[in-house]
Amino acid sequence: MKNKVLFVVTIIVVFLLGLLASSVINRKNEAKYQFAPQVNIGENEPRNEEWGKNYPKEYQSFLQTADTSFATYQGGSAKRDMLEEDPRFVVLWAGYGFSKDYNQGRGHFYAVEDIQNTLRTGGPESKEDGPMPATCWTCKGPDVPRLMNEKGVAEFYKGTWAENVSEVVNPIGCADCHDPENMKLRITRPALVEAFDAMGKDINKATHQEMRSLVCAQCHVEYYFDKKKPGKEGVPYLTFPWKNGMSVDDMEKYYDDMEFSDWTHKISRAPMLKAQHPGYETFLTGVHADRGVSCADCHMPYKSEGGQKFTDHHLQSPLNNVANSCQVCHREDADKLISNVYDRQKKAAETRVKLEDILVKSHIEAGKAWELGATEEQMKDILMDIRHAQWRWDFSAASHGASFHSPVEIARVLGSGLAEAQEARVKLARLLATLGFNKPVPMPDISTKEKAQEYIGLDMEKLNQQKESFKKNQLPKWLEEARIRESKIGSEKVSMND
Amino acid sequence: MLKIINKILPKKDTGWRSFAVFAIAALLGLGFFLMKEAEVVSYLSDNPQACVNCHNMTPMYNSWNHSSHREWASCNDCHVPQDNIFNSYYFKAKDGLYHASVFTARAEPDVIFMQPASQEVVQNNCVRCHVQQVTQTKYDGFIEGHRDNRTERQCWSCHKEVPHGTVHGMSSVRYNIAPLPTDQEKMVIPEWLEKEMESK
Repeated sequence: MKNKVLFVVTIIVVFLLGLLASSVINRKNEAKYQFAPQVNIGENEPRNEEWGKNYPKEYQSFLQTADTSFATYQGGSAKRDMLEEDPRFVVLWAGYGFSKDYNQGRGHFYAVEDIQNTLRTGGPESKEDGPMPATCWTCKGPDVPRLMNEKGVAEFYKGTWAENVSEVVNPIGCADCHDPENMKLRITRPALVEAFDAMGKDINKATHQEMRSLVCAQCHVEYYFDKKKPGKEGVPYLTFPWKNGMSVDDMEKYYDDMEFSDWTHKISRAPMLKAQHPGYETFLTGVHADRGVSCADCHMPYKSEGGQKFTDHHLQSPLNNVANSCQVCHREDADKLISNVYDRQKKAAETRVKLEDILVKSHIEAGKAWELGATEEQMKDILMDIRHAQWRWDFSAASHGASFHSPVEIARVLGSGLAEAQEARVKLARLLATLGFNKPVPMPDISTKEKAQEYIGLDMEKLNQQKESFKKNQLPKWLEEARIRESKIGSEKVSMND
Repeated sequence: MLKIINKILPKKDTGWRSFAVFAIAALLGLGFFLMKEAEVVSYLSDNPQACVNCHNMTPMYNSWNHSSHREWASCNDCHVPQDNIFNSYYFKAKDGLYHASVFTARAEPDVIFMQPASQEVVQNNCVRCHVQQVTQTKYDGFIEGHRDNRTERQCWSCHKEVPHGTVHGMSSVRYNIAPLPTDQEKMVIPEWLEKEMESK
């Protein structure tokens, strides 16, 4: 009898255990199916609207980066002609593309449109023509990882800018930062991975929180085109100068050691460095980074719409969204917080403009010295001082948020830039006197962009004409090519709802 | 103990004996399988991802992960007593079994509220870390009535949004995918890029 009861009890217990196990498995699977996608998103799917079918709220907030109505003291999403605002830039970049055209960047939505329209990319008349390499496309959108996957990384960099007008048509979006399988953050650009390798770090060890900044650091950094990369000679290979470290001095030493220069200044003939936008590097030296705050925490905070929460993909100045960005941690009034930011920026700008003034003078004085017959030997030291001073100016200016992200570091950088530039001018005064010129060098009138561009000898009429012709003749043709190519890709529905 | 086992277990030479051994093995095997499927071991840790084993916790996990508490406090730091290890695990087990029963019975509400016992734990944990803010006399003058509020009310009756925000419930996170504790793959670069980097 006892055994029979045990037999029955065991059956019941095992049966119940089985039920429980089945319930656990079922509930685990529920989690997987809770999210019902509409389409299958392929690896390297470049079309943002395709991702948008599965993630409509994120996609629609991304579309808001098209808004250009918000301007801050020195940032925002409005298009601003920086050369017009400060014509000294034209002289500082004489002989380099930025003296032709330099606008405040708009939202990610315009990444492709703006690079098509800038004078810096010229007016190529064929796919082999034009002043810029394909490398310039690297950060412009999710078509780039697609192309790199198809062609190979070096092969992509090797092409011309014009060659890719018909290829890169989707602006910075989903596939640049996300894995289509599970929407995890991922790095799609080789330069950041290579820079981590060069520093002896493994990017795969990054935490999720670090990734919320690193996906931004794929592009918002200082970089250069390395044409001497072993095995890839002659290819303008996108590289970050981080081997010695990420500070302004470390990167300067890196460039000096390899005798790299982006261009030779047209007036002073100094071997110049162009700082791109070392936003990530300066952010890391600031107090927010020190407290573990990521880029996304402020630039894309949580948002709720109709009772649903999601990450706001309207990447923008946090000053346009103080309530959800700053005030999550800082319980002060919004106006107070904004004026705190502006205070930092205005103070940095005050020093920066002083440095600009001295830099312009040192270029023009160096030009005068050449005119009076100075020798290479006499100029060498002076030109290095100018190079270093301008690198420091550019480093602090090019990353618009830097004076907020890290005000103390930027003050240090600007201060050291001032010292270098003054050093150059002292040496120049002595040299000019030696050459028999012992009075102030006359300064040209550069009060407007046009006057400054004329002074450095730019034929703006011709440049504008070339661009217009490109926009009228080549661009529509290449965009049509892209449209036809994309129309063949199609979309794979997986919905169970219809 | 042995006595009881001997009492229940059938006599050695009967056919029932082999059946009993088999039945016990089946029970144990099924039990282990269940433990593995339910990720039982993960509940012993402080890893917040253990809490998203149960997908009902996705909104809580994600809202915490986007809050400033993320840097300092895990789920356990607030929701489990931290006075001693026995109390911690006792409370955790009690709470966990309650959660598991509700979840298995599919009786979970859309919006989850804390039980009174939990509320007490959380209140104590708020004070545990923020003791300086809530007991310093200078703050009593600075924020009117802070002392009374501290002793007579719960912290979150004013600080409603800490740390989970103001929007609650499963329906609030439709497009939000929580990291699965079983899905801990660390690669952050796509395969094609990994291959390309290796080939160099």
